[in-house]
Amino acid sequence: MPVRAYLDLPSKLALVFLLWVCAFTLSWTFQVSLCLLLVIARFAIPAFRPLSPRSATAFSKFIVYSISVALLVVCLNALFIKTGGTIATVLGFSFYEDGLLFGLKTASRLILLSFSVLMFFISTPLPVLIGYLQEKGLPPSLVLVLLLTLHFLDQLPRRIHQIFLAQQARGAPVDAGVISRTKALLSILSPLVLASIVESIERGTALELRGFLSRPAADRIPAQIGKQDNLLGICFYFLSLAILLYSIYRWLIA
Amino acid sequence: MPKSIRQRIAEEMTGAALPFLAFCIALNLTAGQITAALKIPLYLDSIGTILVAVLVGPWSAVICGSTANLLAAAFGNPTMIFFIPVVVVIGAFSGFLAKKGWFRKWYLVVIGGILQGVLAACISAPISAYVFGGVMMAGTDFLVLYFRSVGNTLLNSVFYQGLASDPADKLVSFLIVFFLTKNLPQRLLSRLRGAANVG
Repeated sequence: MPVRAYLDLPSKLALVFLLWVCAFTLSWTFQVSLCLLLVIARFAIPAFRPLSPRSATAFSKFIVYSISVALLVVCLNALFIKTGGTIATVLGFSFYEDGLLFGLKTASRLILLSFSVLMFFISTPLPVLIGYLQEKGLPPSLVLVLLLTLHFLDQLPRRIHQIFLAQQARGAPVDAGVISRTKALLSILSPLVLASIVESIERGTALELRGFLSRPAADRIPAQIGKQDNLLGICFYFLSLAILLYSIYRWLIA
Repeated sequence: MPKSIRQRIAEEMTGAALPFLAFCIALNLTAGQITAALKIPLYLDSIGTILVAVLVGPWSAVICGSTANLLAAAFGNPTMIFFIPVVVVIGAFSGFLAKKGWFRKWYLVVIGGILQGVLAACISAPISAYVFGGVMMAGTDFLVLYFRSVGNTLLNSVFYQGLASDPADKLVSFLIVFFLTKNLPQRLLSRLRGAANVG
């Protein structure tokens, strides 16, 4: 039996939901542990491995970035929210307990939410996601929009760079004051939007001529979801529900 | 008989509107590249949504904003997924203003832009405060901390931070869309549904 390259989408979505529930209900220590587990899962479990070197780099960069932001958030909150006892004084700056706890809670929740979303997207091929959405009833026109967006995302940075250089060569005030630079924005956006409308009209005409918009929905590929996958997804949802109920119970007796 | 949302979306998304919508989603995602190149301290990340709201319609603008945020999350900015309600309101409100003819006169565009900014700040503040504790991993976090340190609650601090940045951002976005649509040739404009909004 071949090793699966990715977990099925419904189970993965259920896992993301579970992590979101944990981010809002559990304490920061649990959340930090879950974040660490997610980082380990990215390396250890094939289903969570990035699909391309680009995704892997994006994830690694995000880990470094989020850790530095988390440290900054914790320190700044401990410094600025001056309630609770003083924990430490460094170079004349006092750090307070309430601020520190708030910073830890906020940073861990932010990182857990971000990691769960990022983990889902870096390990799920976009065509698979689009196919799944189509199978769930996403109209073909929206699928086309998504695919065209990917095309434009590939093209736009190059176009913007070309227009920017051209306007700079013509003497547009791209290095002057803020107001002049904001005006120069128009000289970059105008040709970009104009070209995109022309291209859109051409593509729209081609779509109409091919009868894309009047065609019935294409045959949908049935999702290959096994019983085990269903069970895993259901387990994640039950666990989420249990955590939610427990949190409500704890809140009621507090 | 009133039309369903599905029918309204289907009416808007025909012919050239589909590729144009895709372009505007991509524009939302790459606007940061332009502002970075010009060193302008604004996001302008809803410029595509406003453009679609004016030239195509409000439902397409809602789809444009939501899709752009989903893709932003997919491409490395996961927090954007939680701000989908904000872009939904931006798309719907801009589309509403465009239908009412607010994109025909510059002074209405100015008022509309400021109103849009205040509305965006109102909706994003609870999300930012209760989901992220006011931390958005951006330079504006310092502003939130400053407001908190002078005795404001978290929600108020995030709201004041939003009020300090969103109206200016949305005003510039509205003005750019106004000037862009004013300068478009009528021959091209007439191929899009919202041509009458900028007459």
